[in-house]
Amino acid sequence: MREAFHSTGQYVASEQLMASVNVAIALEKPLLIKGEPGTGKTMLAQAVAASLGKKLIVWNIKSTTKAQDGLYLYDTIQRLYDGQFGEEGVDDIARYIKLGKLGEAFADDEQVILLIDEIDKADLEFPNDLLWELDQMEFYIHETKRTVKAKHRPIVIITSNAEKELPDAFLRRCIFHYIDFPDEQLMEQIVRVHYPDVEQKLLQEAMDVFYEIRSYRDIRKKPSTSELIDWINALQLGGIPTEQIRKALPFVGVIVKKDEDLETVRQKMA
Amino acid sequence: MFTKFFYTCKAKGLHITLSEWLTFIEALDQGLAGSSLTQFYYLARMILVKSETDFDKFDLAFDECFKAVRSENEVTSEMLRWLDKSDMLELAHEDARKWLNEGEDLQIDKEDVEEKFKDRLKDQDTEHNGGSYWIGTMGKTSFGNLGGNVGGVRVGGKTGYQSAFAVVGARKYRDFRDDRMLDNRQFQLAFRRLRQFSARLDVPKTELDIAQTVDKTCNNGGYLQIVMEKPRKNSVKLLLLFDSGGTMIPFSSLMNELFQAVNKSNHFKDVKCYYFHNCIYSKLYKTPECENGDWVDTEWVFRNLDSDYKVIIVGDAAMAPEELYSDSGNYRGPNGGLSGWEWLTLMKRHYKKIIWLNPKMAPGHAPWREAETAIRQLLPMYKLTVEGLNQGMIRLMTNKN
Repeated sequence: MREAFHSTGQYVASEQLMASVNVAIALEKPLLIKGEPGTGKTMLAQAVAASLGKKLIVWNIKSTTKAQDGLYLYDTIQRLYDGQFGEEGVDDIARYIKLGKLGEAFADDEQVILLIDEIDKADLEFPNDLLWELDQMEFYIHETKRTVKAKHRPIVIITSNAEKELPDAFLRRCIFHYIDFPDEQLMEQIVRVHYPDVEQKLLQEAMDVFYEIRSYRDIRKKPSTSELIDWINALQLGGIPTEQIRKALPFVGVIVKKDEDLETVRQKMA
Repeated sequence: MFTKFFYTCKAKGLHITLSEWLTFIEALDQGLAGSSLTQFYYLARMILVKSETDFDKFDLAFDECFKAVRSENEVTSEMLRWLDKSDMLELAHEDARKWLNEGEDLQIDKEDVEEKFKDRLKDQDTEHNGGSYWIGTMGKTSFGNLGGNVGGVRVGGKTGYQSAFAVVGARKYRDFRDDRMLDNRQFQLAFRRLRQFSARLDVPKTELDIAQTVDKTCNNGGYLQIVMEKPRKNSVKLLLLFDSGGTMIPFSSLMNELFQAVNKSNHFKDVKCYYFHNCIYSKLYKTPECENGDWVDTEWVFRNLDSDYKVIIVGDAAMAPEELYSDSGNYRGPNGGLSGWEWLTLMKRHYKKIIWLNPKMAPGHAPWREAETAIRQLLPMYKLTVEGLNQGMIRLMTNKN
């Protein structure tokens, strides 16, 4: 492979994840990333961009996002204003066409990384509306009768929180990777990337408590990697002695956010 | 070459399409699997399987097809480190290669090589480079890395993966299978399928289409030209009927979750909810306690909730055959002279879209589940799991039957 993706100073990727990224690049298919919240799905795209030295374009999907928004917008209001005041060039529609994120990625002079973040937030039909564009890497602007074609096929990374099932036709075209929750060994590596000089005993104790909380069956929201990292930071800054961690559960609100869960954790730990 | 694997996957219930399979073959062609079984496993999985709920099925299929490949001669990671000597590649120029291939007969018997390989795998405990007996680099035995022998076993080079079978065997994705019972969130997600935007339906155009209006006005030289459009609102109305009979007590928390989920899904045009005990007769109760008097007439429901309500009946359909067929109904409340079966038939006749969700449904027909079997003939029945619920929702939304 010409350029391969590796873990970076800021991001620890499992070997399977690295392989998935590299296969997706080699086969020129979008890479679909699923996984629990806080396992670093969004961070991945940043890490890929950093590792390959390419520009990252992020398209954040909201519940109101339409596929069209990613292609281009025709600013009719601006055109109306300009028309009222007799501005120059009102008859040139192309002036009022603004490319969306996907359009930007296509139009860029270099190959870019396009992150379509949380695709499942949008309406059910959303992914299907993008099939042609992602397959052919081109789209057509009706107003100006122009086709926008990708100069360099962008590397497309799509994340999903599995809020909605994605349509089969869309899935067929993707390379799929499910980010497993990191095991203790990998977790230690991840924490060390963020806080290289964290004390071994503190880290071990915090991780023990963290994995124990995650193992409770009746917990509503399991704490995630990013929350553990925040917690360890809080413990460090607070200068909490290691033996206090399990007993007093300081700053436990950083990893356990629901009242019921807090109750459960305090009971079980006691 | 791997066509058998394709069909095994299909047999295990994975929906793999031909285009995905061709992508996989293309990836193999490009050498993306390296020469490692583990890499092959991940490559196949990332291309062929698109949901973690199917990982377990894939693991089973993989195990079935490639069990034979699983060998006792797992190469230790230490040995792989001995062999990973890419810098030696430069040393291996033409002359050296010639020397390496002299002497040993090039007509290699595969089985013989394997036999020797296994033997030496057992005995070897140190690093070897450039020899002619042990597994090592730059050597002329039939196995090792960067060696000259053309027909041998290549060991390592680029690996470091967990063994494929260690992954398969652990079945760590079992919990993700979607034929398991569900929680509130999954309920809500399933209910989101019940959406039908009325923009396509026959309603008057009552909303101002701003973009179109501005556009038309522009084209009209600035003179206002208004464009109206149909409102985009969900038009789905839902009627939920819960069984709150004694046999449903074990499922009460599940029922509660389901009820909560419907309440939280505020995208319905209307939701009505009633209860019954074991089977539906002439009264539907307003509360799960099913107390006498606290009810509405089933016929009132027919009159007031028109036939485009989508009906979901939730119950275990566990009742005595008399409860379904007898004219006197069951001991709870009146039945209006009709048997449960007749009431259910009326129900089906009135509501075009109706499904039965059963938390307890077992496959096949058992004689002691006579009532359940009979109801299944009348109403489409789905098991209350992620998959069953989704199938049910699809049934409610499509025009089958």
